[in-house]
Amino acid sequence: MSIDEGHFRLYTHVVPALKAGDYRFATTQSLTAKDKDGDVTADRLPVEELHTHLRVTSPRYQLPPDQILSTYPPAGTEGAYGSRLPQVVIKRRTLPWERSVEGGDDGTPWLALVVFAEGEADLLTNVPVGECVTAGVRLDGPVDIEKGSCLEIRTSMVRKIMPTRKDVPLLAHAREVNINDTELMMGDDDGFLAVVIANRLPLAARNPNGTEAPVKYHACLVNLEGQFTKLLPESPPAVLLTDHMVLQAATVLFSPAEYDHMTMDVKHAGGSSVMGGLLPHGDAPEADAMAATATRSRLSEDPVTKSNRGSGAWSRTVETSPAFELFGGTSDLGYSVGSVAQFVDPKLRFPVLVQWTFTSVGEMTFELLMREADSGLHGTIGEHPKQAVGRKPLEVVETGHVGLDQRTRRGDLVRAWYRGPLLPHPADTTSPRLPLAHTGDQLRAVIPDGREDLSLAAAFEIGRLLALSQPSMVASLLRWRQIGYQAARGRALWDGILDGLNLEDLLLQPGKLLGTSFGRGLAQAIGKNPGDTIGPPREIMTAGTPMNFDGDPVTLVTKGFGIDLATDVPLVSFLDALRGVDVPRMPLADLSKAAATKALTGALNQVMDASLVQLASGALSTQIMTTPGGVAGGLVGGVDVVAGGLGGMFGGVPVGMPRGAAMDEDAPDALDLALQGRAGVDEEDES
Amino acid sequence: MKVDAQDMLKELPLKLADMKGVAVVVDDDDTDSAMPQELRSWLVRLRLLEGVPFANLVADTELLPEESIRWFYLDRRWTDALVQGALSVGTVNSDDRTHLTAQYDAIRDELDQEERNYRRLPGTPRFGGSVDAVSGFILRSQGVSGWPGLHVRAFTVDPEESDDATYPEDDSRRMRLLRLERLAPAVLFALFDGIPQVVHIEEPRQGVQFGFDMTQVGSSSKAQLQPRDRTTFKDLPVPKIDVPFRAGDGSSGVVDIQALERALKKHPATGAGDGLDAAEYALQLIRFPYRQVFGAPEGLTIGTVFQATIAYSQYVALDFIGGGTP
Repeated sequence: MSIDEGHFRLYTHVVPALKAGDYRFATTQSLTAKDKDGDVTADRLPVEELHTHLRVTSPRYQLPPDQILSTYPPAGTEGAYGSRLPQVVIKRRTLPWERSVEGGDDGTPWLALVVFAEGEADLLTNVPVGECVTAGVRLDGPVDIEKGSCLEIRTSMVRKIMPTRKDVPLLAHAREVNINDTELMMGDDDGFLAVVIANRLPLAARNPNGTEAPVKYHACLVNLEGQFTKLLPESPPAVLLTDHMVLQAATVLFSPAEYDHMTMDVKHAGGSSVMGGLLPHGDAPEADAMAATATRSRLSEDPVTKSNRGSGAWSRTVETSPAFELFGGTSDLGYSVGSVAQFVDPKLRFPVLVQWTFTSVGEMTFELLMREADSGLHGTIGEHPKQAVGRKPLEVVETGHVGLDQRTRRGDLVRAWYRGPLLPHPADTTSPRLPLAHTGDQLRAVIPDGREDLSLAAAFEIGRLLALSQPSMVASLLRWRQIGYQAARGRALWDGILDGLNLEDLLLQPGKLLGTSFGRGLAQAIGKNPGDTIGPPREIMTAGTPMNFDGDPVTLVTKGFGIDLATDVPLVSFLDALRGVDVPRMPLADLSKAAATKALTGALNQVMDASLVQLASGALSTQIMTTPGGVAGGLVGGVDVVAGGLGGMFGGVPVGMPRGAAMDEDAPDALDLALQGRAGVDEEDES
Repeated sequence: MKVDAQDMLKELPLKLADMKGVAVVVDDDDTDSAMPQELRSWLVRLRLLEGVPFANLVADTELLPEESIRWFYLDRRWTDALVQGALSVGTVNSDDRTHLTAQYDAIRDELDQEERNYRRLPGTPRFGGSVDAVSGFILRSQGVSGWPGLHVRAFTVDPEESDDATYPEDDSRRMRLLRLERLAPAVLFALFDGIPQVVHIEEPRQGVQFGFDMTQVGSSSKAQLQPRDRTTFKDLPVPKIDVPFRAGDGSSGVVDIQALERALKKHPATGAGDGLDAAEYALQLIRFPYRQVFGAPEGLTIGTVFQATIAYSQYVALDFIGGGTP
């Protein structure tokens, strides 16, 4: 019979075939046979009895953690659990029925979930399992652990908070769920679970003034074996209203000297001790137990007992004193008081298999809270607004703006309007969006009533500060702006440059590849048509400049020198005239050192050459006098007449002269020629 | 070709202003778009008011009293200003700002789209389109601190089903949640992608719970139980039963199950007639999560929603819909 998804089936109990314990099987066999005489008697067919020993185990003092599927309320949490019964869900469906309790039938579980507040009972941990039960009770059979936890609780408290014998069977049931369903069902293999519910609502306590106060509750899954009869057989009278524990933060003053003589052997050194504690109302021992003591003292509470224990021997006081008095804080709540001896109200111990704690902060239900919630648009003042003390009343207008004090940058205290991002009216989605602002001040606005509206400016500043508060965001923003901005800047500049270039089919992409792609594109374009981009390529051989002579060389030369050939000038006077030509000079000081060195070297060479020429012309004077054509030859015969052959031009200064050139101090030399730009013209050909 | 560097730099801002950013439809959380992805996801969260100090959301404590829920529309101008403030951190000079101005529209459009993809179930397809109007609520209640893990559902239409129907996750009438977060232990903040007609706030469904309906009577509490039919699990048409408690001091909250059984015996359909057993008892005690339905109240005038000093509707008509100044 399968269960639909999202459904579950409840079972009153799932009783195992065998409860936990040791078993012995005795197997007997009886044989029948016939022979010729008829039936064979049984004693002639003996079969030995077979004894088999069997142990059914089950947790007893501690529930293995993997057996607990969930607890509610979750362990260690704080919440409004006051309207929900705590429960524990166990994976093994038969577990609550695997042991039997005396006085109960098969369907009576041996487990109960006890919920108690701090101070109502004690949870002892690390107790040898033999001491985990009330003295005098003995649990036979194997033990699963050496030391366990136990609940130490007074008989009077058992009567108050623990379930009655009739309740216990109703508080455990089995549940079958669809294992495909989620939540609690994960990991359970057959979909069967056992659930133990508590019988007590973990109500929050009340402060004396009536407000709710959180209470820490313990939930313990206890073993009732051997002590089932300690529970009430029937429930006491019922009421339809349940009271809350009342917390009282009491300061209790003890004067040890006053009490020591009554009860204590131990001297208490201190003069007085001050104790404060939360005194849950009503966890005092039964008032009727007090009848035996004949003294009604005002208050005795376990929490005090507990705090006493810390200060030495005080704990014994409470437990053994036949009548001891304790003056608490003013108690107009009238709760009963008693002090009880161990024999009147003995402490019982129950082994604890699972325990957890949670804090209940109130018994408000979610439903009540939500129904009563004051619902309204943002900016609504509640139905019963609390008037704030010590400050101006809230100033809120229909638009959701709130008037706030503003300290201006100049230090004036003014009133400004502010509205957060939460509007009490539909946002305007049709008008254009807010244009980009670069500083918060751009978003400040003065509205017609003369006050400033700082809503958007504040938003801008919050955004800026939030970004600045995260170094990773600042870094990310800066990196992004840097890369983005530089790429954009580069692209804008390149667009301008490339406008003039005929770059066909060249797609530029901004970014790191811009330089590379531009270089490639340029090379591509140039390679395709170099003539258009750069100009015609240079010839492999550079041709010399052709010389162009029209007319008689002598005429040309003389014309070049500015000499009128028509006038018949004797050669000597011609030379004299030449000698008289003023040679332009450049002061050496104006030249750079290298140039000066070269000029000096050149000048010295000239002098040397001139001396050589003079010597030679002395020897050849006859010939020179008779052959006018030889003059030119003798003077400038060695000059190469190639265009640009006046090598060694340096800043207009001839720094090297061909050897053998006749050099007269006053004669026009290559310098003159160069200066007058006639290098190409004044050539002689003496051939 | 003539390049004048001076002119070129002078004209640079004009060129930068021309370079409009292009909004990309983001199809992967990890790829850069008009902005780097880490910046994008951070700005989306910023636009959903993550990290914004609470005092900037609710300027005065009196605007959000205890046990109140306040509904609102989200001011797009405010969130835009918030993003602009964050972006201003990255600008240094005026060329930067010119460039950012050109890019800003694309950034904003992308954030409009990405906003709805922030609270997306992992592995589901991305949502297209951009967020139009955003609304939400702030709930300040013990219900938030006492019931961690509330379920919030918003609907574009008032569902025809009864208020306790169940809805699948992908119901087309369901509205997406842009953000649902506890700002403080008792303050819940929710943003919807749109303006819902009906909002459900439901108790957390942490398994099956057992309990009662509690009401306070003076300094005490009263618990009630609605009897159920043991076979159909339906509520019986009888008044609720007052749950009896064990009398006496110190047994605060202890349920008197015997007395409860006697009370249930009057309704044989509960199964208590022949004696209550554990399964029947558990069945009566099962509590289902409560769901509060918030919807447009009927017959409510704007004046009662918001105590206005000026006729509010008139003001809205003149100044908001008419496109006036806020």
